[in-house]
Order: sequence, then structure tokens, then C-alpha cells
Amino acid sequence: MAEEITIQVGFGDQFHPLTVRLQDGDIPPWQPDQPLDVVGQRKPRLDAVAKVTGTAKFSQDQQPAGLIHGRILRSPHGNAEIRSVDLTAARAMPGVRSALTVPDTFEDSTARYCGAEVAAIAADTEQQADAAMRAIVVDYQVKEHCVTIDASMAEGAPQVGRGEQKNVQRVSPRTRGRRRGRNADPDADRQVVEQMARREKEVDAILAGSDSVVEGTFRTQVQTHAPLETHGAVCSWEDGRLVCWASTQATFGFRGELTSGRGQVKASECRVLSEYVGGGFGSKFSAGREGVIGALLAKEAGVPVKMMLDRSGEQTSAGNRPDSLQKMRMGVNKDGIIQGLQIRSWGTPGSGIGGAGAHNDGIYQLGEIDKVEYGVRTNCGGARAHRAPGWPQGSVALEQMMDMAAHSIDGVDPIEFRKMNDDHPIRAKEYDIARERIGWDRTRVRGGSATICSGVGIASNLWFSAGGGGASALVRIAKDGAVEIRNGAQDIGTGTRTVMAMVAAEELGIPLEMVSTRIGDTNDPQGPMSGGSTTIGTLTPAARLAAHYAKKELLAVVAERKGWDPADLDLRKARVIRNDGSDTGLSFKDACSLMDDDAIEVLKARPRRNYAGFSDTNAGVQAAEVEVDMETGVVRVKKVVAVADAGKLINPMTAESQVRGGVIQGVSFALHERRIMDRHKGRMLNDDLENYKILGSVDCPEIDVVLVDVYNGKSNTQVMGLGEPPIVATAAAVANAVADAIGVRVFEVPITPRRVLEAIASNEKSAAQPKKKGARL
Amino acid sequence: MNKRADDSPEGVSRRHFLKGAGAAAAVVTVAKIPSVTEAGQEVSDDPVIVGPGSISIRLKINGEIREVEAPPSTTLLDLLREHHAMTGTKRVCDRGSCGACTVLLDGRTVDSCSMLAIDAMGREITTVEGIGTPENLTDLQKAFVEKDALQCGFCTPGMVVSCTALLNQNPTPDRDQIRQGIAGNICRCGTYQNIIEAVEHASRKGGK
Ligand code: FES
Ligand code: FES
Repeated sequence: MAEEITIQVGFGDQFHPLTVRLQDGDIPPWQPDQPLDVVGQRKPRLDAVAKVTGTAKFSQDQQPAGLIHGRILRSPHGNAEIRSVDLTAARAMPGVRSALTVPDTFEDSTARYCGAEVAAIAADTEQQADAAMRAIVVDYQVKEHCVTIDASMAEGAPQVGRGEQKNVQRVSPRTRGRRRGRNADPDADRQVVEQMARREKEVDAILAGSDSVVEGTFRTQVQTHAPLETHGAVCSWEDGRLVCWASTQATFGFRGELTSGRGQVKASECRVLSEYVGGGFGSKFSAGREGVIGALLAKEAGVPVKMMLDRSGEQTSAGNRPDSLQKMRMGVNKDGIIQGLQIRSWGTPGSGIGGAGAHNDGIYQLGEIDKVEYGVRTNCGGARAHRAPGWPQGSVALEQMMDMAAHSIDGVDPIEFRKMNDDHPIRAKEYDIARERIGWDRTRVRGGSATICSGVGIASNLWFSAGGGGASALVRIAKDGAVEIRNGAQDIGTGTRTVMAMVAAEELGIPLEMVSTRIGDTNDPQGPMSGGSTTIGTLTPAARLAAHYAKKELLAVVAERKGWDPADLDLRKARVIRNDGSDTGLSFKDACSLMDDDAIEVLKARPRRNYAGFSDTNAGVQAAEVEVDMETGVVRVKKVVAVADAGKLINPMTAESQVRGGVIQGVSFALHERRIMDRHKGRMLNDDLENYKILGSVDCPEIDVVLVDVYNGKSNTQVMGLGEPPIVATAAAVANAVADAIGVRVFEVPITPRRVLEAIASNEKSAAQPKKKGARL
Repeated sequence: MNKRADDSPEGVSRRHFLKGAGAAAAVVTVAKIPSVTEAGQEVSDDPVIVGPGSISIRLKINGEIREVEAPPSTTLLDLLREHHAMTGTKRVCDRGSCGACTVLLDGRTVDSCSMLAIDAMGREITTVEGIGTPENLTDLQKAFVEKDALQCGFCTPGMVVSCTALLNQNPTPDRDQIRQGIAGNICRCGTYQNIIEAVEHASRKGGK
């Protein structure tokens, strides 16, 4: 019995009515004129006290009785076949309780990068496990390797993959039938190739007809996730049931892998516990080999095993954002309208080709697009989803093209140029906020003979994170007034736990302090993985619904006991009130004490689908201000203004933290981060936190976050996630700011001092005619 | 085989401090420490060889004397975490690059992953557990909570310890001094600005 209602959707001063057909017993979203007591307030995280006192127990901190330690032996070769692994001597070493080989366990005897898993040992102490690892005898057939995009793409490069797999393989446009790395059906492929050729011709013609054409070749480097808590789990078998304290961003997914009939562990029952997770950023969706290995070592040993990666294993083997090589041509007319875009891009996600793509054809109205994208196999650790996979690298190229195009048509202001080619209703407003707060129009020293130059740059975000079906929540109201909300999903540092409780508190009309939470336990109701920034959008409507129906049950008890009309009752500020706002004289606790039973428990799933709503996407604009030392080439990001929206804001404080975090990772990507491979030995040289440079406190810019509250009407909480969108634009904004400051473009990130100096030098060489000072490239 | 390594303060300065990369990774199974000293007695400089087996390691942690049997090659970090189950101090890089394992040694910050436990004998060790408790937070910890100076929380104990040391040395640091004070602590989630705000807030309140 779907109920049709009319709601107001929009933001700022732009609201309009929208008719929504409520589904699956859902309740209407909060309305703009509705007073809210908890939602929208800046609330400290519920787990903050545990975290600042060191009492929060992460997976790494679990120490069940009898715990022993697992270690993984990794291949030292860039590319090898494992002929045999002999564990005999290792098993005889002191303290060793269990061991396995990767060829036997995973039926995979290729070690296609330096760092690939070969065998594993569990022993009483880490030192004993390390000693035993040195006693493992492995016979490798070492093969040639390629560890850089250029080496793999070169004529006559050694083959990285197996069988027929080519080093360079088209990933888009796709040919049907190409699955699991197999080559495409030749007929279908021929058709696609013909279509591509036609498309190329068409867009060639459009570019030829445009008033101006700009082109550039951009590169970005491999970024590792580097969560501070490494991957892995503490695994324990209790009466044939597996318990894993896992560092994961998908508790239910982790459980699924270890119980799956197709997996290696095949546990009949498995409970995954992840109360605290030390970061993930997209790399912790899978149990991974380390999760499987931990479970198997624990089974054989008969005692719990801690199988957490060491830092080197984390940096080499637990995922990364692939690098990219992007060649682009853009045609634009004098009126500022983009006519077309041609893109050829390559990415190296490891020895496979999944996740190679760079999102460099979105965000704006780009006219006709001809894009071909290739995956390039290298003998390196594989990519995993990394905070907005494909977007920051695509944005680095696209946003610089936008500036170059704007400049090419008589130096149109980059912000005005974007507005001309952007139809996002929210972003239109956000540009102005960013412009003002970064001081866009302030006079600056740019290029030329000054030692320190300053510049500003702009770039946009786009994301799609209203969540969807797949979450239930359990709300329990006890007779003594204690309220608990539970969901089995994890909080990887985003603030999910707190937001879930805030939504329940709002619905129950009680202060947040009265709500306790349980999260990160697969014995509790189903929750989403923390992916695509959808956790909050998926989870909170379930939390609100469960709280709503629990409230109804409680009010029914009150009505019955007091002889009142349940439809006239509500809860607000921990009181039972009537619809006209008058107090009944009963507090929330009084109401609870009227129950016959010990507690009311309501388990509710959220509707499977979202409503049409105001906007399907988050927007967002970022502006960066940099200072560049023209003599040393050092770039300092002084300030980043990040204007962000994420539907209805539940907790502006944690939302702001999410944005700041994304910006910081983005600045780090722009200036510092890169995996360095030894081309000869095939190994990662900076598999640590010393030489893999991550932005620190000293270089951290001032970050000015402006949050735009949007009533998007897509669900009963109207929330969108904010983990990924803020990282999309940052590096691009920084790159544009650097070009603005020094008067020449650096086409590659990280923007290291060397690259800056090279760009300045090449600019000086080519400066036959003096350039307009402050001209934006 | 268990020799008692005493906790004499004089002994400490003569010991080798295993610096930088890989105190934990190095296969140190034998350590040289100065001979047993008694208060007020003349001491011989001849080293006593202990290990590779476990020895008794007596440390003063958060004001309490704690003694445990462990190999002399055990880092202070591992001793805290594995032998005393004090898991607030985190292991992240295990080689002195990230600050997650920061503890105070006589009030000064050290990376506990990069020193041996036996080198901390006779000194005052303060871990995050000794700074404030959930029921009794320090002003700095309260400010961390209020300013949301944490996300996943994995770097947080190290940050709290570093900032505590900073405020002890300089109760009114400016922004740059705060940045320097946590320069050795990496936060991957990106909480630096919130931490700076939290330290300023605590400093304004005159607290630690
Ligand atoms: S774990 Fe000690 S500095 Fe990183
Ligand atoms: S809060 Fe996650 S690393 Fe700092």
C-alpha cells in the first residue's frame, strides 16, 4: 500500500515540490521547515573517547588466549613460476605450528610480481615465524619482467600475463565475449574496432571545425592506500566455527569469502568482528589471501593465529591506485562551449587489467567524445579500488585541459568557462563560494622573475552515493530506558557508527547520549560494505525506519496503558508529547517503564530502491592556492577551499573531517606519492613509510570546508556519502594552481621540484616572445 | 640462563641505542648490557652478555613497576603490546617513520618500535594508557574528542602522546610549533588540521 506524498527538495533558496510514492512501509524524509534536535548538529564521535585513550581494540590488538603469529613468504623476483616449495625444514623449526604453500592452497604457481605470496608459517612468536620462513626452500623459474608502463608497452617487451594475454589490452570500448582476461571473439572485436574508427573520424572532424584545439599528455603515478592498520585478521576456530577479528571494510563480504563453497576455507560458520578498523580507503573489501591464510593456519595449528601484513607486504601487495598515461585533445568554440574531446588513456593495475580506467570524460558537458582506454599489464602488485577509483587521475588530466581550453579562447576565466559547460544545479552555486573564499580575484605575483610566485586553481567533484538496498538495523528499547541500535557493518573511520545513532536518536526524540551502538559484528543485522561512499546512504534509512517502528510500538504501549490515542502521541526531547506539542507529563523513561516485556526490539530493512529525488549526484568544487619557489621548484599548497555537498548533513563535524581527509590525500597525491620500482630487480623500492612519502602535518594546507545542505529526497534520511567525492578534485586544483603561479604547465603528478624546474626551464627556452604576466595556461 | 638486567639509570647512558631501521627486524638475540649495579656501589664497565633466551625485564610503565620475562631483543613496543597487553601503542611501520608507537621516555617522545625494552630500564615510560582514562580524560584528550581530531583512530594514541609532550614543553605553542610537534606522526586519514585545533584549544584552556 504505497502512500503518495509531496515533499520539498532542493537546497539554499532553490526548493521545489516533488511527489514521491513511499515504498515498503517507508516514512517521509525530513522537511526543510522541520525542526531537528540531533540531526544537523556537530556531534563528537561516539567512539572518540575509546580512540584517544588507546582502549579501542582494533584487529591488530586482539589477543585471544593461545595466540600465535602468522607470516607470509613473498617472492623476491619480478616474475617467476614457482616450481616447488619445500616446507619440511621450516616445519621442524622451533615454535612452528602450521604452514602452507600458495601453489597448493590457491592452485596458483605463478608469482607475477615481487612480493607475491609463496608460502606462510604460523609459529609461537613472530621471531620464530621469521626464522622458519628462512628455512623454506623454494625453487623459482625466474622470468623476465616489466614493472613500468613504458617497459610493458615497448615493442618486444616480455610478456607479463599468461597464455595469450597481451601486455596492452583495450578495456573500453569493450568487446562482448571478452571475459576473464581471454581475448575477444574476433568477429565481435572487428565490429568494435570499426565503430571506433568511425568515432575517431567524427570527432576528428568536430575538432577540426572547432575555433580552438588544445592538447596535452598527462601522467599520474601509482598511489598506495597505506592504511595505518595493515590488512589481515586474527583468526580463531571455536568448536568448528570460525571467528575473525578482521581489518575489513566489508564484514559480510569477508564472512562470505570464508564460508563460500568456492573458497579455500569453506567454514560452515564464520563470525567477523570489526569494531574498529584502522583505515581502508577502498583496499579492504576482500578477505584477501592473508585472510584465507590466517583462517587455514589457525585451523591446522588448533590455536588462534594473528595474520596481519607487515608494512612491506601492505605497501607491495595490498592494493594501489594505478598510474595513468592520458593523451587528450579538446575542441572549443569562441563562445566558450566545448565541442568535443578525444582521449587515449592507459593504466597499469598490476598483472591484470581490471581497474585500469581513468575517469577523464565526466563532470562537464564535453560535447562529442571519442575515448579509447587500455589496461597495461606490469609485474607489480595489483590495483584495488582506491578512494574514488579512477577519478583523481582522470581529473588531473581533464581539469588541466579545461584550463588550457579556457586560456586558448582569449583567456576566458577558468571558473566562468566551467560554468558555461556545466549543468549541475548544485555546483553552479558552489563555484561562487569557492571563488570568493580562495580569493580568486586577488592580485598575485605570477611567473617572471619573482622568487616566490603564487597561483590559484579550480576543479570539480562528482559522485554518485545515495546508497541503496541491502541494510537492516535493529533498535532495542529496554524497560529501563536504555536504547541500543545495531548493524553489522563497519566504521572504517568515517563516523558511520555515530551517524547511525544520531538518526535513531532523532527519530526517537531522545538525546544522542541515550543511544548506545553496536557495529562491526556479522551476528548483527546485514549492513553494506564501505564502498562507493554508499554506507551512510544505505544504512541510515534502515536505522531511521527501525527507530520509527520501535517508537510506534512504545507509543502503542503508552496509549494502551493510559487510554490515549496512539496517533496523537510522539516523542521529543525525551518526553512523550501530543501532536499539538503539549507535554503528556510522561518522560521517555516513564514511557519505557510501562512495558510488560523487558524490551521492544524492532528489526527493519530499508526500501530496496531510492526515490527519484532532487539530484542523483553529489557535486562539489575545490580551489587551491599555492606558492612556488621558482629557484628550488618546491610547491607549497597554502590553502584549499573545499565546497562539498552530500545530501542532508547528519553530522557536519564528521562530514567536514571526511572532506579534510580527502583533500589531504589529494594534496599528497599531487605533490608526493608514488611507488618507485627498481626496473632491474623488479621490486618496489619504497615499500615503507620512510621513502613512500605521505603528506605530513608541516606541509598540510589550511583547509576551508564549506558544506552545502541538500534535501535530495532520495531516501528517508536523504544522505549521501562523502568519503570519495572530496579527493576527486584536489590534485587537479593544485596542478592548475601551479600552472597559474609559474606560467607553465606541469603535466605529471606528483609535481616534484624537479618537474617544476624542468617546466620553468622549458618555458624560459621557448619564451621567444614575452608572455602576458599571469596568463593562465 | 636468566640473568637479571637491573634498572639502573647510570647504566642506560652507556648502552647502545639501536637506532632507525629495523631494531625489530634485526636478528638480535644477544645483547650486551652493563653489569648489575647496586645503588651507591662502584660499577664495572665490563658488559654482561644476556640472551638469546628470555631475561627478566623490569620497567616502570605509567608509574608502575612491571616485570616480565622476554628475550633481550624485544623492542619496547613489542614488550608493551605482546608482554603487557598494553595495545594502545600501535605498530604501523616498525621502523621509526610514522610515530604510531610514540611513548614518553622521561617525558620525551621516542618511537618505541625502534628501541629495545632493556634500554628503557630505569626510566619513566608513559604510554597512552598512562595519559588519561575514559573516565578521566586530560584536557588535550577532551579537545581531541571535541574537535574530531581522529578518524579511524589508529594514529591517535601516538598523536595524543606527541601532543602531550609538546604541551608539557611548551604550554602555548603556535600553529607552526604544533605542526613541528607532530611532524613525526603520520595520519593517513588526514586529521592534522583538527589536531592542530585541538592542541590550540587545550592550550587555551591551560590544560595538558
Ligand atoms: S611503528 Fe614505530 S615509528 Fe612507525
Ligand atoms: S585517524 Fe586514521 S590514520 Fe589518523
